Amino acid sequence: MTTKGYQLTTVQQVLRKLTIVWADFESRLLQVPIISRAMNNQLQLDDYRILLADHYHQVKEGSGWICRAASSITEPYLEQRAVFISHASTEHMDYQMLERCYVAAGGYINELYKQSKNIGSEALSAWMYHKASQPNPFDLIGAMFIIEGLGKRFAQTFAETLHHNMGISAEQLEFYTYHAEHDGDHLDELEAILNTDILTIPQLPDEIIRTAKVTARLYLLQLEELGNY
Amino acid sequence: MTDIFITGVGKYLPGKPVANNEMEAIIGRISERSAALGAATLRKNGIKTRYYALAANGEHTHTNAQMAAKAINGALAHARRPPDRVDYLATSTTQGDYLVPGFASAVHGELGIPPLELASFQSVCASSLMAAKSAWLTVRTDEAKLAVASGSEFSSRWFRPGFYQPFYNEHSRPDPGLEFLRWTLSDGAGAAVFEPEPKAQGVSLRVDWIKQKSFADRFPPCMYAGTVSNKTTDNQPWSLYNSPSEAYQAGAIALKQDFTLLYKMFPAWVGYYLELLDKYQIDPHEIDYFLPHYSAQSLGQEMKKLLVKTGAMIPEERWFSNLAYCGNTGTASIFIMLDELVKTQPLTSGQKILCFVPESGRGICSFMYLTVFDNN
Repeated sequence: MTTKGYQLTTVQQVLRKLTIVWADFESRLLQVPIISRAMNNQLQLDDYRILLADHYHQVKEGSGWICRAASSITEPYLEQRAVFISHASTEHMDYQMLERCYVAAGGYINELYKQSKNIGSEALSAWMYHKASQPNPFDLIGAMFIIEGLGKRFAQTFAETLHHNMGISAEQLEFYTYHAEHDGDHLDELEAILNTDILTIPQLPDEIIRTAKVTARLYLLQLEELGNY
Repeated sequence: MTDIFITGVGKYLPGKPVANNEMEAIIGRISERSAALGAATLRKNGIKTRYYALAANGEHTHTNAQMAAKAINGALAHARRPPDRVDYLATSTTQGDYLVPGFASAVHGELGIPPLELASFQSVCASSLMAAKSAWLTVRTDEAKLAVASGSEFSSRWFRPGFYQPFYNEHSRPDPGLEFLRWTLSDGAGAAVFEPEPKAQGVSLRVDWIKQKSFADRFPPCMYAGTVSNKTTDNQPWSLYNSPSEAYQAGAIALKQDFTLLYKMFPAWVGYYLELLDKYQIDPHEIDYFLPHYSAQSLGQEMKKLLVKTGAMIPEERWFSNLAYCGNTGTASIFIMLDELVKTQPLTSGQKILCFVPESGRGICSFMYLTVFDNN
């Protein structure tokens, strides 16, 4: 971005646009019925169980699409591929934590196993795998900014609200509080990967933003369609 | 359209500065535990002194409208313009002295100047820049030649124990949503004069743009009075109870703040700031003075980091604030800061000033961008 008197680095420019997309996304989250009801102290434990159940596929598939994306990365980007692989490996057992929350919240594990995706999750999952199957799909960094940002920034206040207002126990909330506390510094990680030479790939900066926007919309859709299978 | 200038600024802070340990003598004491929460709040907001239009005996020394009028007269004196030349008056306040009629009428009455056009802006902090924008545009479109915008607050009257007693007393568990505001907000007024020419001598501020965005579509009320709660289950407006006294008994009159929600507004404000930087192609390093209407402490580390990484951080040595010794006067604050900036800082032509007024009321974010014009 060349301007009157100064120039942002491409990384700053991408992070700035991602932050604008994320700010809109996070504030729109509050309008999603499940979140809005939680903020209004109107949530019951069975609503929370549906949230866990409908979130389950996304969590299980998270490391799946990151692995798929890694397998779509070719030379000369093998160093970046390693970052994707290690990211996937950090998260690939997280679904077990969610299973424990589900059981703690009074759910039967076999029901969770049988649970199909809600219609929003279907769209989100299809989109993520579609993107991950493209050659060198670094635009998925936009998706990570949204999904990881949610874990770090939103999960904490959401969990606190559920805990204080609805009396949902620490055990039942483990998945969300763990992510709030342990998601580490994803902003630094994302910046580090953007600072490798990938942003010189033609059109990539714009595609990262677009992928972030679509992912944000589909993530909301997943939450809007809770219980609709 | 022609350039418009702020040619005069003024402020009025009632009485003497009140130190932290003198606050309870004026706003009253609720309980030991309330005072302890107050001390914690003061450590957080960093305010050392503030002003109150209440005396220790519980009587008021000024009304809100009187403070606004004094600030406006100060701004007109600074612009060297006689009050009777004003042909547009825009006022802002969170709550006027009366419920009806509009606050601008009360201020006009106090000023005692001839008939003119006026507008009352009522919101929390961002109403300041709503009034400023209205004054700026009115002169800009040649609908007026000399406009004033004021911001004034008489917050302390909300904080006397009598405002809470039926539902909140010495036996209650301290409520941070009530106590935070009680120990943060205080009284005062500020004003600015808008004209189509810079003043013949001295510093004027050209108004380059004023922008604001409301996020009420996604946030429920965050700082509010007139309902018990911002939860949809019990947010009946005070005016729909069987009587005002029933609303008061229920706690629907008190002024409250929802903290969980407050922190959720930060990203929306940061997002809007980044949007404006891009829209107007502003280099944060070209901004000479950044006047944020909130304490630097409340800008979370994470937000700061985000601003640094997105090339959007204004170096902290350029932040200008008098919050610590003038207090948080809501909609008056930005005018009170501008007054001090213009009257104490060595401003030179071409310098840029960015005013930032986020409003937690229901999520409004406002900015005003100024260029110094020195005719000396």
